[in-house]
Amino acid sequence: MNPFLEFRNVEKRYGPITALDGIDFCIASESTVALLGPNGTGKTTLLGCLLGLVRPSEGEIHLRGAKIGDRDRLRFGYLPERLALYQHRSVWDNGWFFAQLKRQPAVELEHQLKRVGLYAVQDRKVRQLSKGMHQRLGLAIALCGQPELLVLDEPFNGIDPARLDELQNILRVERDRGATLLIATHTISAIEPLATHVAILLDGHLAASGPIDELRAAHAEDSLETIYHRVARAQAQEGAMLPAPTKPGPTWKSALPSSRG
Amino acid sequence: MKTIALIATKEFSDRFRSGWVIACVLVWLGAIGLTSLFGLAQIGRFGLQGYERTVVSLLNLVQYLVPLLALLLGHDLVASEREDRTLPLVVACGATRGYWLLGKFLGGCLTLAFPLALGFTIAGIVIGLTVRERGLGAFLILAGSSLLLGIVFVGVGLAISAFSRTRVQALVIALLAWSTAVFAFDLVALGVVVSSQAATASEEIEKATDATHVVSVEDLHRQYEGAKDNAQHLVPAAPRRFSPWLVLNPVDLFRAINLPQTVALRVPVAAAALAISVWLIVPLGFGVWQLRRLDL
Repeated sequence: MNPFLEFRNVEKRYGPITALDGIDFCIASESTVALLGPNGTGKTTLLGCLLGLVRPSEGEIHLRGAKIGDRDRLRFGYLPERLALYQHRSVWDNGWFFAQLKRQPAVELEHQLKRVGLYAVQDRKVRQLSKGMHQRLGLAIALCGQPELLVLDEPFNGIDPARLDELQNILRVERDRGATLLIATHTISAIEPLATHVAILLDGHLAASGPIDELRAAHAEDSLETIYHRVARAQAQEGAMLPAPTKPGPTWKSALPSSRG
Repeated sequence: MKTIALIATKEFSDRFRSGWVIACVLVWLGAIGLTSLFGLAQIGRFGLQGYERTVVSLLNLVQYLVPLLALLLGHDLVASEREDRTLPLVVACGATRGYWLLGKFLGGCLTLAFPLALGFTIAGIVIGLTVRERGLGAFLILAGSSLLLGIVFVGVGLAISAFSRTRVQALVIALLAWSTAVFAFDLVALGVVVSSQAATASEEIEKATDATHVVSVEDLHRQYEGAKDNAQHLVPAAPRRFSPWLVLNPVDLFRAINLPQTVALRVPVAAAALAISVWLIVPLGFGVWQLRRLDL
């Protein structure tokens, strides 16, 4: 049986810098995948390849066994890390524009705005929103149309505890509805209660991936954070032992532009 | 198609809200009205002119203003969305880059066409009612070709925008493109033709490029004054052979199409249509090609 989503040897190079180095992994339908890794390790680039924003230098991405195309993305929901909306337009206008792009009716947008608590401020200009409200509008747009794949890039950044609870509940509902969730983050504590699978990306290549329970059993460790740090340390030691490394070993900072996760 | 229409409508609506469209309507109406009223000041007269003579007076203004407005409109169609980082979410929501670009282009064309069409319509009605002249043909050709000239330059602006990283970079390139099309091209073309000793081509280009200069406009108005039978029309001269040089620059083609028949530069319809098609397709093609290569 074909996996829901499959990354096949995905590579992305920016001149001499390799942002993604032969990424190979599969995502099962209705799973919640935590894509972990420090800043600048290629998480956003990988999501960009999936969403058609970044052209892979090599490799392919398949959805249900077929190469992914533009039309497939109508069934995706995306919340970028650096969300940019039309500042001079209202909450409703922004939501309605993106809902129409996704071919969704007004009633669906209305439902999602109510869900994230922005329906009451639908006439407010986006430039007048707080950072949290801005993020919630992005989430409403991503949720619009009950997407079968929800791609969230650092959704827990700068979120207060009350809102974190709300966001986790919304994501649980989406998971229970049958959506597949791919969430790039370095806030491991926030994703741990939700994730069914983990993929750890270190310096552009996949250091570990699999169901979270298998990973816990393999490392004889319950905490995802501990497992993550163990994998990162092992990777760093492996990199240090290489006689002539072709790229820097795993570190928390990378030579890549900061805009790329 | 729905995606293209949605993006075009949003573009027009954004420009309308920003006051761009209204400002253009006012500028355009004012320009046509003032040109029609004061266009004969060079020969010591004042008052509304007929259609044909308004065309002679307006030619100068249109050839400078329309490409400039179109380039100012087109230069930030792509660059602004890249700079503001709004494009990734649009693409991630299922809009293909090609459709998005076509939508932006159509939105830009609508934004330009609305004030132009409104300005020409109002001015046409006012001239028709005041001067009571029936020779509407030249005026309609001017309106139609102005619109086409504008659309071509929106496409050029869009291509410039697709290749630029920032609005400022796009604006600088757009202004360079404008000065090349309006000023530099004629000088270079004349220089090349004169140095190649092609006497006929040299004369034709000189006619086309010179006819919109202030002195030449005055000459044309004096010819109208001197015409005995009807001060609004001139006797056409025998048409000369059309020089293919003129289709290399849309501004020259526009001039050649709109010059009065006394200048006798007859532009074959097929050559004009082909040139306009190429001038539309090539920049749009480059724009789509560039946008598809970009990592957002």
